[in-house]
Amino acid sequence: MKGRYEDENLTWIPILIVGIFLLPFVLKGLTYSYKYYLFVLNMAGIYIILTVGLDLLSGYTGLISLGHAAFLAIGSYTSAILVDQVGIPFVFSLFISPLIVGLFGFIIGFPALRITGMYLGLTTMGFGFIVKRLIIAFREWTQGAGGLEVSFPIIFGYTFKSDWDNYFLISAFAILAVVVSRRIGKSKIGRAFMAIRDSEQAAEASGVNLAKYKMLAFFISGIFAGLAGVLFAHTSHFISTDHFDILLSIYFIIMVLVGGASSIYGAVLGTLFIVLLDYLFVPEMKGWIQEFLNIEGGDIQSLLFGLIMFLFIIFQPTGLYGMWLKMRIYWKLFPFNPKKKFI
Amino acid sequence: MDSLFTGLLQESISGTALGCIYALIALGFTLIYKASEVVNFAQGELMMVGAYVNFFLVTSFMAESGEPTGWIFLSGFIGSILFAVLFGWFLDRIINRPLKDEPVFSVIMATISLSIILRAVVSMFAGPMSLIPVSPFGNQIVAVGGIVISILDISIIVSAILLVVLFYYFFHKTKWGIAIQATSEDPVAAQLMGIAVKRVYGLVWIFSAIVATISGILLAPRMSLLDTSMGFLGLKAFPAAVLGGFGSITGAIAGGIMMGVIETISMGTLSFYFSWIKEINDIIVWIVLIAILMVKPDGLFGVEKVRKV
Repeated sequence: MKGRYEDENLTWIPILIVGIFLLPFVLKGLTYSYKYYLFVLNMAGIYIILTVGLDLLSGYTGLISLGHAAFLAIGSYTSAILVDQVGIPFVFSLFISPLIVGLFGFIIGFPALRITGMYLGLTTMGFGFIVKRLIIAFREWTQGAGGLEVSFPIIFGYTFKSDWDNYFLISAFAILAVVVSRRIGKSKIGRAFMAIRDSEQAAEASGVNLAKYKMLAFFISGIFAGLAGVLFAHTSHFISTDHFDILLSIYFIIMVLVGGASSIYGAVLGTLFIVLLDYLFVPEMKGWIQEFLNIEGGDIQSLLFGLIMFLFIIFQPTGLYGMWLKMRIYWKLFPFNPKKKFI
Repeated sequence: MDSLFTGLLQESISGTALGCIYALIALGFTLIYKASEVVNFAQGELMMVGAYVNFFLVTSFMAESGEPTGWIFLSGFIGSILFAVLFGWFLDRIINRPLKDEPVFSVIMATISLSIILRAVVSMFAGPMSLIPVSPFGNQIVAVGGIVISILDISIIVSAILLVVLFYYFFHKTKWGIAIQATSEDPVAAQLMGIAVKRVYGLVWIFSAIVATISGILLAPRMSLLDTSMGFLGLKAFPAAVLGGFGSITGAIAGGIMMGVIETISMGTLSFYFSWIKEINDIIVWIVLIAILMVKPDGLFGVEKVRKV
């Protein structure tokens, strides 16, 4: 079977998927604190669903969004209200809530037809602030700034209660999101997105309907963010507006860019990198540094996070995916490398 | 009706003072953006660092002599400016130069991580407590007719005007100012004309650090407490800069003042008459921004770019 998939080597994908589902058992065998690792991986999984969608919008189409935490927030609150207050089953909310968030993406796509570049970034940033404030304002449903408790996810009678259960739910959806977004990226839609990013005029001249595809990019990205929001709300049981901060939106765009824009695997790698750095590596290092250097107090965690990010960007501006590409070229040309540079 | 009018007038004046701060931060953004198309997300943090440096200089001078005199504030001010010059030069060296040939995105990300680092470092040095800022003017107020104005607001407005005049002179009359203008117009052509473009970028970062420091020194006494969250105020200067048209200096100043006035009036009179305005007080600047961008996508004073195909 040759055809659509001929440029890809697909043999490692089933192995990877089996690996993902075996990972919790390996972790449980290796360490006692596997629950925390699973929690971190769940976080990464939810963020991956969002960042692959963001990559379609910012990486492929070149429309910068600095307000994606707002889409996550709308997804979370919509699902929480639909399931707990309206009484819709979780399974239906999994489909309805992302569609509603997609419609919000549609609304934000409207100004994007005229506004480009940094202006768009700041408009979406403003959208983030506005959504956060409106969630607090509708306190009849959202309980305002106090936060909202959310029920467990129930699928066909099975209740997902622990991080262990959630891991399988989230990773299944994360894999689905990666596969779907890669297919979108390689389809006619994805090519239209890239044409818009490279030159709006040339795309329009070649028959790409700018308005349609820009709206579509926001809609699709909203659906991904909405799905992430639904999973986030029900697996963390508690949501409050504090979580959906402007900093989170900025982190999302960093995740996409660190991985290397307009590459879905790049977005996955970048998200894993940032989440593992923030939740695992930096806390580990923090304890280490406090022990040896005797520094107390202060926000060592963000200092380390900022420093690592900073050094990474200065020394590796093309991101993780660029690093990977360079490594691959190095091995392909192995004995005859034009430049003796590994990374 | 009369009380409504005096209320509005009073709010406009204190709004103008707040707006001047926004304008100065926006000016800092604009300088860097004009020269290198980099959006400096650390501008608010530069302001915070300036305010902290000034605070520590002034309090340590005060501890030496005991008496708060004008000279102490003046030397604190000069010390902070010197620090800003060094800091701006240092930032150019560590951020701008290594990333010169990289996409603009990388530089923007570097400034984001810089803002995280600066917040953490300052909180480490200053401790977790908020500080109470000192001001050379205290809490004095002047009453003109029915309007009460604090000396602090007047000092902010006056220094902002002075700074803008200085900048105008610098950009239009001096050799270096014209070099900066030429570089922001077209870096390659500027280089061909014999302008040291790298040095111009360094200068731009230094200027932006100076403006940020001055806005920090002016803003600190206006806030009751000084803590690291001051840097987030820099985010509010974004809509101001965009409202006026990103990359236009007049636009940054006009946009900043407009935003300050709109925000103050909506917190005062409008909230008094329409209670629902209270809910959206802190996002009103963003609503105004989006509304205006829908009508004029390049900002109020932005030049509409003619795009080449």
